[in-house]
Amino acid sequence: MNASASLPASAPAARRGGGFGAVLPWLLLALLAAFPLIAPHFELEYYVGFVRRLLIVMIAATSLNFILGYGGMVALGHAGFLGVGAYTVVALVDAGFSSAWLAWGAALVVTAAFATLIGAVSLRTRGVYFIMITLAFAQMLYYLGVSLRTYGGDDGYGIYTPLSLGGWLDAQPNAFYWAVLALAALIFALGSRLAVSRFGLALMGIRDNETRMAALGFPVFRLRLVAFAGAGAVAGLAGALLASHNGFVSPSMMHWTESAILIVMVVIGGMGNRWGGVIGVGLWLTLEEVLKMYTEYWHWPLGLLLIAIVFFAPRGLAALFGSKGERA
Amino acid sequence: MSLFQAQGLVKRFGGLVATDNVSIAVEPGEIHALIGPNGAGKSTLVNLISGLLPLDAGRLELDGVELTALPPHQRVRAGLSRCFQVTSVFRGDSVRSNLLLAAQAHAGSSFRFLSRRAGEQALMETALGLAEKVGLSDVLDRTAGTLPHGVQRKLDVALALAARPKLLLLDEPMAGMGPEDSLQMVALIEKLRAEAAILLIEHDMDAVFQLADRISVLVYGKVLTSGDAEHVKGHPEVQAVYLGTEATA
Repeated sequence: MNASASLPASAPAARRGGGFGAVLPWLLLALLAAFPLIAPHFELEYYVGFVRRLLIVMIAATSLNFILGYGGMVALGHAGFLGVGAYTVVALVDAGFSSAWLAWGAALVVTAAFATLIGAVSLRTRGVYFIMITLAFAQMLYYLGVSLRTYGGDDGYGIYTPLSLGGWLDAQPNAFYWAVLALAALIFALGSRLAVSRFGLALMGIRDNETRMAALGFPVFRLRLVAFAGAGAVAGLAGALLASHNGFVSPSMMHWTESAILIVMVVIGGMGNRWGGVIGVGLWLTLEEVLKMYTEYWHWPLGLLLIAIVFFAPRGLAALFGSKGERA
Repeated sequence: MSLFQAQGLVKRFGGLVATDNVSIAVEPGEIHALIGPNGAGKSTLVNLISGLLPLDAGRLELDGVELTALPPHQRVRAGLSRCFQVTSVFRGDSVRSNLLLAAQAHAGSSFRFLSRRAGEQALMETALGLAEKVGLSDVLDRTAGTLPHGVQRKLDVALALAARPKLLLLDEPMAGMGPEDSLQMVALIEKLRAEAAILLIEHDMDAVFQLADRISVLVYGKVLTSGDAEHVKGHPEVQAVYLGTEATA
């Protein structure tokens, strides 16, 4: 994560604005929005659910990329925040609430609170210690989930009645898909904008040279904490969406290997690149889906892919597509 | 009253007393140089003053404001800015981005999430002004890490200047410089005298005697003596422990 990862750019926000790069996100959005309508014509209905899951994981990966890639914080407990979001939904459903927006909003807020507390402790450490302490907190959340008998403990909790999006939306079979897509697009846009904002640029400065940032007068700890809490909250939202998507929540979604896979996906996609989460998740989950059709040893090729990327494209696949660093 | 006062600073590393009851003051408009052989505790002192190391004892005051309990970034806000002995810039960024980041630190909040910084004209003007001041206007688009050492040192100084400090801490600004770069740096520091009082830590004796209004000699963590250039040159113990060793080296 050194500075040379993102070399050029000084006033190029304007220069980079035009061309294919600017159209691409909109094109992709239009394609994804149309997908549930097109899919039935090609007997691809199953993949509408698959893409929905992709989009949800992309939200989680994008939030992780923000603290990992832009903030230089190697947090190995991101799945813990997904779990907090998911269990917030479970708690509300169990209490008799059925509004999706209420549940997702609550997940955002509750996870933000958790992430603030965990960040306030974790961010006093650096390097390996930070990795270990975020892992420890996530494992605590995992075992908390296991011990929650009310919500099924180890066995998990089924959400049998889908959450309500409200009014006419509930009659529309693809409403949940579009809601997820809208949120994913919003998070992506937010991440892109953050990267060129004062906040994002300060965060990258801390990643590259923390001592100098403090000596320049930046409130380093607070900046990192806000980034960490924000990313945690977005992960909580992704967890809540995943709970709705699966109709089921269990502690296994908080297991530390889930956090590790999120990191792997971000690394493959491109740390510190706004496309990192999108590409990483898209590639990883698609390959997993495809390989599973042919072999039960699907971990092998994915492992080889990871090794190849680390050696040949250490800045991730996004960097190969000519999308230069995100500095402005 | 002095602009800056450090009183009774103490720092221990295990059994070693790196800073042993050091008191030092800087008057408004003054360049106060701090010299001393390697291992005398100069860098430790700079880190204590700037807040990167916690004090074991002592107090710091700048322009009537107590700094002792403040974290580094708040000391900067109070008017104390520093350079680093080992050049500390954002190597992967352009000179312009470096300066913009420094300007951002002192113009409004960094908790702005949704507006592009690139659109902030005032920041750009501050950055260009800083470049102008230290002579970096020609290399704004160069990547900082690819610039020659002397130019990077200038950038380091420019970053510190963005705070519009009352007191500037320069930690061996001439370190590793050739004679020509050193001359330029001396001229730059002389120019900065008008903007801030300076505490100058430096090995280069020619530069120190040329610039400093007052010189303090640090040996084994203690201030051996303090006075103008003539006083220090004539001090027998200084000659023995410091100038002497240089002469024989």
